[in-house]
Amino acid sequence: MNHNIELNQVTYTYPGITTPALTDLSLAIPAGQFCAVVGPNGAGKSTLAYTLSGFIPHFYHGTLQGEVTIAGMNTRDTPLSELVLMVGLVFQNPFNQISGTKFTVREEIAFGMENLGVDRQEMINRCDDIMAKVGIRDLAQRSPLSLSGGQMQRVVIASVLAMQPQILILDEPTSQLDPIGSREVLLTIRELASTHAMTVVMIEHKLEWLAVYADRMVALADGTIIADGLPGEVLADEAVWSRGVGRTRYTQASHQARMNGLWPKGRSLAVTLEQAVAGFQAAQTTYSKKS
Amino acid sequence: MSQALSLYIARTSGVHRLHPITKLALAGLMLSGGLALPGPWLIYAFLVVVVVPLSVFGGILTALIVTTVRIVLPFAISVFLIQGFLWPGGTLLLTIGPFALKNEGLLFAIASTGRILMVVTSFLWFAFTTRPDVLMSTLTQRGFPPGLSYVIVATLQIVPRFQARATTILDAQQSRGLNIGGSLPSRARAILPLVVPLILSSLIDVEERALAIEARGFNHPGAKTSLLEAQEASWEPTARWCIAIVALAVVGLGLWLR
Amino acid sequence: MDIWIDQLSFTYPAGVTALRGVSLKAMPGESVAIIGENGAGKTTLVKHINGLLKPTSGQVLVGGWNTREYTVAQLASRVGYVFQNPDDQLFASTVWAEVLFGPKNIGLTMEQATERADAALRAVGLIDSAQKHPYDLSISQRKKVAVASVLAMQTPMLVLDEPTTGQDHNDTELVGQIVEDLKEQGRTVITITHDIDFCAEHFDRVVVMAQGMILLDGPARDTLMQAEVLAQTHVEPPQLMRLSEQLNMQERPLNVQEFIEFWCA
Repeated sequence: MNHNIELNQVTYTYPGITTPALTDLSLAIPAGQFCAVVGPNGAGKSTLAYTLSGFIPHFYHGTLQGEVTIAGMNTRDTPLSELVLMVGLVFQNPFNQISGTKFTVREEIAFGMENLGVDRQEMINRCDDIMAKVGIRDLAQRSPLSLSGGQMQRVVIASVLAMQPQILILDEPTSQLDPIGSREVLLTIRELASTHAMTVVMIEHKLEWLAVYADRMVALADGTIIADGLPGEVLADEAVWSRGVGRTRYTQASHQARMNGLWPKGRSLAVTLEQAVAGFQAAQTTYSKKS
Repeated sequence: MSQALSLYIARTSGVHRLHPITKLALAGLMLSGGLALPGPWLIYAFLVVVVVPLSVFGGILTALIVTTVRIVLPFAISVFLIQGFLWPGGTLLLTIGPFALKNEGLLFAIASTGRILMVVTSFLWFAFTTRPDVLMSTLTQRGFPPGLSYVIVATLQIVPRFQARATTILDAQQSRGLNIGGSLPSRARAILPLVVPLILSSLIDVEERALAIEARGFNHPGAKTSLLEAQEASWEPTARWCIAIVALAVVGLGLWLR
Repeated sequence: MDIWIDQLSFTYPAGVTALRGVSLKAMPGESVAIIGENGAGKTTLVKHINGLLKPTSGQVLVGGWNTREYTVAQLASRVGYVFQNPDDQLFASTVWAEVLFGPKNIGLTMEQATERADAALRAVGLIDSAQKHPYDLSISQRKKVAVASVLAMQTPMLVLDEPTTGQDHNDTELVGQIVEDLKEQGRTVITITHDIDFCAEHFDRVVVMAQGMILLDGPARDTLMQAEVLAQTHVEPPQLMRLSEQLNMQERPLNVQEFIEFWCA
């Protein structure tokens, strides 16, 4: 199988800490998959993001056991400067991700490409293209410093996408965004991932739309994977909730209905709005027939 | 949000369109005249003949005058008072109470002010007409170490961010009742709650930013390209040589006249 | 403690007008959530409550005190403000010292301050970490320390700026519990949040802002169902309200319990 990302029994401990952040973790993600990673704070999600992009072990030293292979390259043996060609990384705080040397958004987006020595005309084309796709064309001449957190995060995402990575890793990219902004960013990434066959790994706490757009969901707790499957399955699993992974209100409502004996038998709990509507409507029909 | 620390004034002038290195050469010419020529009147003549027309061509004359006066005036006043009145010996011009104004002192002050004016105006002329990031990418493409150019240009943006962060911390601590006015001991006690978060959070920021630029390929081996292209007219390289020759001639003239 | 914001307008020195004639009154013990898109003026508004910003025109009265006449440090005895980023305030070498800072500043005795610091750390579940260095804790734990340090001041009014951003499920529930405890104690709680479900579950009143003005102000049940108005400011109704609407239910539920009740009816 063509796996773009493979982790084989990975254990990692940060320098100076005794407890490992990741323990015996194995994960294989095929090319083009949109994989969501969820879990409570401290579960090792960010550590996983750094491991998937090669920053562990190259930037954050410490002890890394096991094998990590990205796009066919072993992260331990390949220099970070080569790995960043394959993997784009977006994390929470947009203020620390802008280069700090560019005076307009357009140039900011070109920063990564300049570092890679991309031809000037190609840079111009990609800038225009990505600004249109991410919906920030009107910000092109603005100073990156003058933007709001949400606008800045979109610029960061655009700059990373402009480098055309094969794999995109996002660590809570919507924390600064308002609800509809979050949904739009998720949707944009989903669309771009499909059109460019990009593998996406997204860490998020906001579950509602993640459940709709992600192909697969991995739940992490205490440095290990506790669930791996369709978002609908993972988020409806009670064992997963007890480890601190969240759930949508739809799941909570359908769970409460089930506890009261009102949820259709054999039907799995709702995770999205659609599933909740369908489930409660079915319950309505079933139980109104009875009464 | 904040604006980057930058002296650059955007204009569409002939000067702005010049290549950064040409402007660097012209600034060098101004500086050589200002420092090599014997004072005081030749310096001011040079100022009028070279700096003023170049500033007019750049559309920045007013800004230049305003900023230069702001910077040089305190210096000028103090040098006039000190050198003018405290010059040992020399020719007396006039007396004000116990203070005697000497001719040599006055001339010295005029010459010193002239030199400072030349240094300040050449720097400001250059800074007002040249984008720092264009300058840096030009220099990098000619072999300047990229890490160093990153640090220089990044400082321009980071300083205002640092100031904004300091203000936020001040707000946060005041909101917990920290009194920043009042007696000296209370002000001294206020230092730690203001400085510690600033340093610690800046260190965290620096680490994240280093990670971010690494992720954008900053350490990728090989030549970097640039989206912005400094325009260079065909006559400019020759012009730069001419400017260099003129600058040398000016320095030679200055040495000869002394 | 009550608050009266009267025709408040504010323009930043750089020239941006962030608030245009905003008026708002909150009674003692009310819980108010302010929602709206980024840049709507929410943070600008709440910064007027503890005097960090002074009105360009109009006035803000906190329990009768005109904020123009008091310093931020003075208003801190009435309004506790929890900032979004804990790293903007943590400076002490132990969690305990950090949490004692606020109460000592507002003039409490060591005994009172100790008692309150203890209660606050228990409320956030960090009493066992009292002797640790704040920066040895994770970011979400540091956020709890920041909350505790303001809770310890036991002010009659609290402002929470995005208390659930970046928090996981359990932490969010903890914040919710803290809000409920504060309400029970009769304190006025004002929050800015993007988490609409959290807002529906814990706040009686919702104020919707856009472009420096208030679009809606009323009980949560009424304001949160107005999807078109909310959409103008990039916000959606809570999950359960959208569900109840699609199921053609008459009532609008604020939480899971109410949803089940209304649905069964």
